[in-house]
Amino acid sequence: MIDRKKARLLALAGIMIFVSTIAVLLARQFNLGPERPAPAFRSFGPETAPVHIHEYTDLACPACRHAAGKIDEMMKIYGPGLRVSFKHYPLMNIHPWSFHAAAYADCAGEQGKFKEYAEVLFENQEKWAQAKEMPKEFEAYAARLKLDWPKMAACADSAETHKRINLDIAEADMKGVNATPTFFINGKRAVGGGQLVDQARKFDNILRAAKP
Amino acid sequence: MNDKPGTKEIIGLLARLAVGGVLLYAGLLKALAPAEEFGYAIETYKLLDARLSLWSAYLVPWLEIYAGLLLAAGVFTRFSALFSGAMFLFFELILAQAWLRGLPITSCGCFGSGRGNSITYEFIQNLVFLALTWAAYKYGSAWSADKAAETL
Repeated sequence: MIDRKKARLLALAGIMIFVSTIAVLLARQFNLGPERPAPAFRSFGPETAPVHIHEYTDLACPACRHAAGKIDEMMKIYGPGLRVSFKHYPLMNIHPWSFHAAAYADCAGEQGKFKEYAEVLFENQEKWAQAKEMPKEFEAYAARLKLDWPKMAACADSAETHKRINLDIAEADMKGVNATPTFFINGKRAVGGGQLVDQARKFDNILRAAKP
Repeated sequence: MNDKPGTKEIIGLLARLAVGGVLLYAGLLKALAPAEEFGYAIETYKLLDARLSLWSAYLVPWLEIYAGLLLAAGVFTRFSALFSGAMFLFFELILAQAWLRGLPITSCGCFGSGRGNSITYEFIQNLVFLALTWAAYKYGSAWSADKAAETL
């Protein structure tokens, strides 16, 4: 009798463990986990905006450069309806300096110029993205934007900056991101500028209805 | 079947559901976030190196989910409560050593990286959970799967 009771409970425990494991793995796959907030310097647009785009970007990727233009355009058109947060997903196997670029951009962000620095990096991508040695452009662009370079260099080497970027990468891996740019528009995935525009159209009414 | 649960059994049941629910919630928050996030939190306690911290971050959320589910449902109630209590005790020891060493811990990692309470707050909170786990161990058999399995 005791054995039969134990067997029933063991079977029940097994079923519960199996079902909960599958449920959690599916929840991960369908991106149901909480969204890690991007740092304030990488987020643009009002916090109350009804549509929030998270973009996983690689500063050395040409498609991300094109998408940056589209995002700027959308922010101008939709204004208060849209908030955009950038997350780093440097594809280091094909872009050797993209992690460095992400770190420098974040450190420029800490001095209040993330967007400006990212823009310069995008504009001049072909000059530094495939360089054989550490590109001098990072420092030159910082000087052009009147950023404090020694402070920026120290920040880019810091464990805190690396941790922040590594967590972005880990989060992207968990969400199954494997190409850049990948967007999540209120949770809906879009890969590349074309899909971004297509997906954003579905939110057109909400975007236009938002009042400042 | 005239064994209507008394006050103690109702307290035991509530304690079982509370502790099970907390473990399930904490486990889910961590399991649905990148393991690296919790791994970094574990590293700040300076007990394990980065690799072992990451392995622990993969393992702990699942243990919390399973223990929470089994305890809430009352499957092997005493064993589940004992296991949950051992986990809370282990967390208490880790928090205590961090407090004694004066480690600058901004987020304990207990409920993912989103919430950052002080070590003292987390320590007291865990003491409450430990007390509830004891109540679940002692009086948590009412409306449990253990009881149901006896009558089937």
